[in-house]
Amino acid sequence: MVLAGPPEDQGGVDALSLVAGGTDIFRRSRGVLGLVGLPIALAAAVAVLFLWVGNKQLDSIEQRRVNPEFITNALAEHMALAFTSTILVILIAVPLGIILTRPGARAVMPPVITLANMGQAVPSIGVLVLLALVWDIGFWPAIVALVAYAILPVLRNTMVGLQQVDASVIEAGRGMGMTKGAVLREIELPLAVPVILAGVRTALVINVGTATLATFVNAGGLGDIINGGLVANKQTVIVVGSVLTAAVAMFIDHLGGIAESRLSPKGL
Amino acid sequence: MSLLDYLSAQGDRLLGLTLEHLGIVLISVGISTVIGVALGVATYRTEGPRRVALGVTGIFLTIPSFALFGLLIGPLGLGGGPAVVALVMYGLLPIVRNTITGLRSVDPAIVESAQGMGMARYRRLFRIELPLAWPIILTGIRVAAVIIVGIAAIAAVVNGPGLGKDIFRALARFGTPTAVPQVLSAILGIIAIAIVIDLAFVAIARLTTSKGIRA
Amino acid sequence: MTTAPAAAPTDPMIRLERLTKTFPGQARPAVEALDMDIAAGEIVVLVGPSGCGKTTTMRLINRLIEPTSGRIFLEGDEVTKVNPDQLRRRIGYVIQQVGLFPHQTIADNIATVPRMLGWDEQRIRARVDELLALVGLEPATYRGRYPKHLSGGQRQRAGVARALSADPPVMLMDEPFGAIDPITRDRLQNEFLRLQETIRKTIIFVTHDIDEAIKMGDRLAILREGSKIAQYDTPERILSAPADDFVADFIGAGASLKRLNLSRVRDVELSDWPVASVDSSRAEVLAALRASDKGAVLLLDAERRPARWVSGRELQREDGPLSEMGLPPEALVQPNATLSDALNEMLKSRYGCATVIDGAGVYQGNLDFATVSAAIQEMRRDARDRSRAEADEVHAAGEAGA
Repeated sequence: MVLAGPPEDQGGVDALSLVAGGTDIFRRSRGVLGLVGLPIALAAAVAVLFLWVGNKQLDSIEQRRVNPEFITNALAEHMALAFTSTILVILIAVPLGIILTRPGARAVMPPVITLANMGQAVPSIGVLVLLALVWDIGFWPAIVALVAYAILPVLRNTMVGLQQVDASVIEAGRGMGMTKGAVLREIELPLAVPVILAGVRTALVINVGTATLATFVNAGGLGDIINGGLVANKQTVIVVGSVLTAAVAMFIDHLGGIAESRLSPKGL
Repeated sequence: MSLLDYLSAQGDRLLGLTLEHLGIVLISVGISTVIGVALGVATYRTEGPRRVALGVTGIFLTIPSFALFGLLIGPLGLGGGPAVVALVMYGLLPIVRNTITGLRSVDPAIVESAQGMGMARYRRLFRIELPLAWPIILTGIRVAAVIIVGIAAIAAVVNGPGLGKDIFRALARFGTPTAVPQVLSAILGIIAIAIVIDLAFVAIARLTTSKGIRA
Repeated sequence: MTTAPAAAPTDPMIRLERLTKTFPGQARPAVEALDMDIAAGEIVVLVGPSGCGKTTTMRLINRLIEPTSGRIFLEGDEVTKVNPDQLRRRIGYVIQQVGLFPHQTIADNIATVPRMLGWDEQRIRARVDELLALVGLEPATYRGRYPKHLSGGQRQRAGVARALSADPPVMLMDEPFGAIDPITRDRLQNEFLRLQETIRKTIIFVTHDIDEAIKMGDRLAILREGSKIAQYDTPERILSAPADDFVADFIGAGASLKRLNLSRVRDVELSDWPVASVDSSRAEVLAALRASDKGAVLLLDAERRPARWVSGRELQREDGPLSEMGLPPEALVQPNATLSDALNEMLKSRYGCATVIDGAGVYQGNLDFATVSAAIQEMRRDARDRSRAEADEVHAAGEAGA
């Protein structure tokens, strides 16, 4: 089952891990172009957007949303939401993944993986709204919702990454007299890093996307611009907000991709 | 007001919304399948087009759904139209990717022997390659369906149909006793749809995969 | 010898004329100006070191690879430009990996070409059963099975049945037994040779294994790089008179031993070993033994099937009925076994002797080292005489032309 089975039963595809990596096609070219090609393209798109907006006569409602100060503020809120939640996700999910893969706790792995897959079916907007209703609106409830929603890919990838380390390598380490902790630090974790990083990148991209919905629970972010345009029925505002949001999401995915390949141990 | 009270009072209306939700998901998955499989079939043999197909559909998934819905209001207005277009775009990557993976995983010896027996290109595709790739393609469609079920909830921001409407209505009723049961029932309805679709795919896979290649 | 042997009275089944294939981006052609005639009903084995272009050559014939230049004739018609799919339906194709369609039953696999040719279902069903029986797969059992339920050997048989389905005059076989364990391979080779006696197809067979080539081929084409023919002749003559050092090196050491693969038990004169009925008296058996120069006697049962081997010493020392004395028969071979197989059995046997029986198990005679040695001598003499005669002929023709 897609919802219940491990990813290898699904032809290597599952919904969560697909969200990240869309911009990898731009990093295929080697050298500097691979690194700056996408940012340049995105900057050009945003420049075109601003030229278009600059030539328009904006009314006062539009001006309230489309001005440098408001946009910078929304962007800062958005980044705070996305990065705070992602850091919390790493702090929670990686240690939890390590604990759950230690001998003795292995029995809990299948149900956790099933739960992680089931989580794909839960709508992110539902989690945000539910938390706002039962707890509060604002930054921290939004963070909790983002963390709850993005914790699954990191947890699952940490467990899968540790689990797929060749048992003979671990045994070789133990045979040389390494302690369990040393084996974990020096063998298992380094070998699992690429898989864990892929999960972290996925979480980051999910968080950037879900943070656009934070506007509905008064937690700000770029969604404020789009939603403002929707509520006031101002096309220009909606377009500015949407294009900026899409550009930011692609840029973050791009950075995530660079980080992923830079931080992975060489030789893997 | 408890969830059960709410469900019994609003059952019919919830059922209607659930069917609406299911409907837009099925329509989107259907269109996405037709486009995605066609794209996969058209590009699986050549490196360049293959990368472009995967790259472009991959970027669709990177774009936050709220932004994509927003971008589509301009050309398509509000309602079901932009919702279906956005959902189709989100469903493409898993279908294109699995179509390509599936077709490329067909043993070349099998394709060669079909060719050696005088099977023409299209016959080979429809009789040999696609049936053999089918389990993997079907998994891609299933993943697309699961993605679409969840994102469809956000379609309500552009007046799209489905259970997402109730999530936003609940938000608007902030502080009233029905707000929490309303959002909970919408979430549960969406999860139920996902599970039903997933189970339906298990059945479809059983019925449409040859016994010779079933695990 | 770089050209085909003297033209057969009838048209060849396949004729290749200056056939050339140059792959894009490669300076040297993979197949260069190849001329070759293949006679109807023969198994021609293309054999050569890896990379010599033998598989490319074979795939040029059914145009899975399109030739750069040159012409291909099938039954006298040029097929270089006809629709390749139509052409391939007239040519059976068997490859090492078999390539059975895993999502179709064995029956559907075999029915592929007949369906494309538009046969009616009844005819197809009958043909499928006929072919399954022909390759030794019980139709009722295997018809509805899927390839994954078959062993490697069974799959290869089903692959052969599929290639034969529309009764094509020509079959191409690319290392068909290459991926099969040695014991099964040997059995499949023998089965296939027996099958060929009934179907009489024109077969192009590609292998890199010289022993397999010698065993399977009516004629071998030893190829060197660029698919150039180093020698195209019968296995006997290639073994006794290799055209050059390349061929001699390729055949390798032990040409005499390899020649044993060429002769069958039925072709040699069997030697005399004493036999007696298992029901006869001990004195009669002893008398039979003394009348010969051998150390043991073979006892036959009422149906003249080998029952026991008994030595003279056992006859004198042991009591008890003859039917429990000595050893049960060992080293049994059939007339269509090769001398190589027979020799192998002999080496394992107690008396250095293989017992020949027919299909019903009835005793035909015995084969020992002296028989094999005599057969080798004779083959060598024949081959030498023939190449000398041919050399004279060529010489004479040269003088006549001058």
